[in-house]
Amino acid sequence: MNTKKRLLALISLPSVWLLVFFIIPFSMMALFSFRDNSFGPLFPPTLKHYQAFFASKNYLRMLAESSWIAFLTALISILLAYPLAYFLIFRGGKHRLMLLSLLIIPAWTSYLLRILAWKVMLGSGGIINSILIQFGWISERIPLILYSRSAVIITLVYIWIPYAALPIFSSLERIEPHLFDASSDLGANPWRTFFNVTLPLSIPGIAAAFFFVFIPTLGEWVTPALVGGVDGIMYGNLIQNQFLRGLNWPLGIVMSLVLMVIVSIFTILLYRFISIRDMSSIA
Amino acid sequence: MKMKYVQKVVLFCLITVLISGCSPKGQGPVLLEWSGYEQESFWEPYKEQHPDALPVFSFFADDSEGFAKAKSGFAFDLVHPCSSWWKLYVDHGLVQPIDTSRITHLDTFYPDMLAMGQFNGQQYFLPWEWGYESILVRTDLAPDIPESWADLWDPQYSGHISMYDASEAAYLISGMSLGIDPYNATPAEQEQIKQHLIDLKPALLNYWLDYTEIIQLVAQGDVWLASHAWNDAYGVLLEEGYEVEFINPTEGRLSWICGFGIGANETNLDLAYDYLNAVTAPQSMANMGNEFYYGVASQQATDLLDPFVVEILDLEDPAVLENTFFYQPLSEELRTTIEAIWSDVKASN
Amino acid sequence: MKFSRLLGPLYYILLAVFLYLPIVFLIIFSFNDSILLALPLEGFTMKWYRAVFQTPELLTAVSNTIWVAFASSLISTVIGGMMAIVTVRYSFRGRKLFSSIATFPMVIPYLVLGIALLLFFNALGIPLNLWTVTIGHVVINLPYAMLIVGARLSDFPAHLEEASMDLGATYWMTLKNITIPIITPALLSAFLSSFTTSFDEFALTFFLTGTENTLPIYIYSQLRFPARLPLAITVASMVIVASSILILISEWLRTVGQVKRSIY
Repeated sequence: MNTKKRLLALISLPSVWLLVFFIIPFSMMALFSFRDNSFGPLFPPTLKHYQAFFASKNYLRMLAESSWIAFLTALISILLAYPLAYFLIFRGGKHRLMLLSLLIIPAWTSYLLRILAWKVMLGSGGIINSILIQFGWISERIPLILYSRSAVIITLVYIWIPYAALPIFSSLERIEPHLFDASSDLGANPWRTFFNVTLPLSIPGIAAAFFFVFIPTLGEWVTPALVGGVDGIMYGNLIQNQFLRGLNWPLGIVMSLVLMVIVSIFTILLYRFISIRDMSSIA
Repeated sequence: MKMKYVQKVVLFCLITVLISGCSPKGQGPVLLEWSGYEQESFWEPYKEQHPDALPVFSFFADDSEGFAKAKSGFAFDLVHPCSSWWKLYVDHGLVQPIDTSRITHLDTFYPDMLAMGQFNGQQYFLPWEWGYESILVRTDLAPDIPESWADLWDPQYSGHISMYDASEAAYLISGMSLGIDPYNATPAEQEQIKQHLIDLKPALLNYWLDYTEIIQLVAQGDVWLASHAWNDAYGVLLEEGYEVEFINPTEGRLSWICGFGIGANETNLDLAYDYLNAVTAPQSMANMGNEFYYGVASQQATDLLDPFVVEILDLEDPAVLENTFFYQPLSEELRTTIEAIWSDVKASN
Repeated sequence: MKFSRLLGPLYYILLAVFLYLPIVFLIIFSFNDSILLALPLEGFTMKWYRAVFQTPELLTAVSNTIWVAFASSLISTVIGGMMAIVTVRYSFRGRKLFSSIATFPMVIPYLVLGIALLLFFNALGIPLNLWTVTIGHVVINLPYAMLIVGARLSDFPAHLEEASMDLGATYWMTLKNITIPIITPALLSAFLSSFTTSFDEFALTFFLTGTENTLPIYIYSQLRFPARLPLAITVASMVIVASSILILISEWLRTVGQVKRSIY
């Protein structure tokens, strides 16, 4: 009827878009994973890249390690972002959103240059080293923390804190103030109020924050390449290698598909905790 | 009917996407080139000839990136890969033979280098620049000066070594340090080469990605041994007054050579040849050599190089060149193996 | 008790310093008369700012970036808006599936998205250019656009629109006069959000760029050359100022609607 026609008119363009630029590319990618090599014929299909992937201990181990790095990054980002959001909501007054925005602004500067700036500052020729030597805390210059797994996590946390703060801020904002009054009327001290009222109600925000840090970090390759050194290499670097250096696209695709499966599982789990409002606050 | 109007507009945009995507780009030749080589002093004669048809550049940071782009159907007129990839370009039909009668400076090239660009009796690539790869050492910081590639594995340097993130060079270096011929290694020997590289990992500070990074690291003193570095890093650091040395390992330095090939498609051929002639003019080559401290593939161009560059390149000492290990063309099979080895090395701990 | 009141602001300031340090660093060095990023500072100069305007590739990269950001944000906002209306105002079989597919790109690492699109364009023989980059940016921004507009739409009950149609307006008139004005702040917010994401987008763009660079790609390629670094830093400093203005507008717009919500 009329409703149906309207729906059709509205949904047709998005559907075509999703089909052409999302579903088809990914289907192609999936098909490609059975290709013998990057440039040869499509048939006959082969499972050899899947076999190579699962037979290698290293790839799966890297995936697990990268998941761990991503998890730590998300965890630390949330731990650091939560107090920030809490403080802004409860003490920020009417300028709290502005204060939060002020912290978001650096996030919109060239990511590459910010990392370069950190590299220079942390490097052995940098400011921090100069200060430490001045105070006699170290005797010779060392590239602080750089070129290690920790460097990757710290750099990523630096990038992600503002993004993690947003959904937490958003969900704390939506807690009805009278709940706090009720809680204290019933005799709870601030800590109990926090643990029994605030924290549980902010779980959707925390879940959204976790979601938005964990998932992109899983596929990270730029930061590990710049500051990771030898043991900060992540799964994303291996994938990128297959495409740009190794010219082994089918293997790279197999690796990507496995990553996507992991991510999808996580997403399905997390969808139970998040609503549309929480997701939108990220953007 | 606002929605329908908007739909039409967006649909129109989508169609334009597809159409404009297929239209030819630019007026000048399309170059698949290393980033940094677009400087006008390298192709000035062309600019004077065709001020309205300037070349269009698409950059890559690594040979494999360039090859991937070319193979994916990117329509280029000229490409600038390095010698170990030349055969691959020819075999995959990505380049066409060069009509040497149209090359004005043909007789200025070093014959050996020119010969490297010949396949199946035809000239496919014109050599252009070459350079060394060796260990760059901070002589004032390193306890001992290494004399061989194998010295990289010496524990006294541990934590102060940076390795270039390149599969082929790593494979060659590891093979040479073990005394294995890397181009004819048995699978068991290849496994040794791989393991040797894995053993080196704990001693590495990081993998360096570009020459700004390695210069910075060596200048800061964090890296005592840069393996491997090119003469451009050596030149810059010398000029800045650092105590560095570019050693002559007993196994020999590695040497790369890169050059230009013409794309297999037929458009813009005249402009492509004009660009080729401009870029292989002795002065153009010399300009590049002076800029990057690289060697050039023609005697006349070499004569035009700054004395400082000549010194860095050890051109006065023929023994160096004789002991040099040039990159040889890789078969597809060996390349795949090398890449798999490197990928494994990076993934293991 | 007094001390704990200070903890909050102290923490905020600490974080602010942490976040702004590299920015300040970059801005300082954009005025520094040296190509090296090292102390001591060599002297104040405006030459890098002048040089920016004399470097055509840099300016082209900036204009390309603006163009791509604008085009992709426009397309994302329009299509995302349509998706939002469809998922919030209508119920149909497969709505959940549609919604899941639409939001799926959010959870896919850009690396994988880039590769999938690259394969797609290669197979169709479409050369890489600014359009392919634009399409890539739309794919990643679309879910956010949909969610932003959807959130706003779901805050407003449908009875406004129903009332409008009961009073005789056609659906399209309703859309134009009721729905769109209601969601306009969200549309603008989605647009600005997409714009700023697209502007500094590197990981995905890396795979889809042809001969025309965007600013992040250009910066990446220039990091190799010490002499070019100051230019990149200077441009970045200029971009900070522009982005901060945009971000503040975006936040303000988003809150405009929230104030009105209290009426309901």
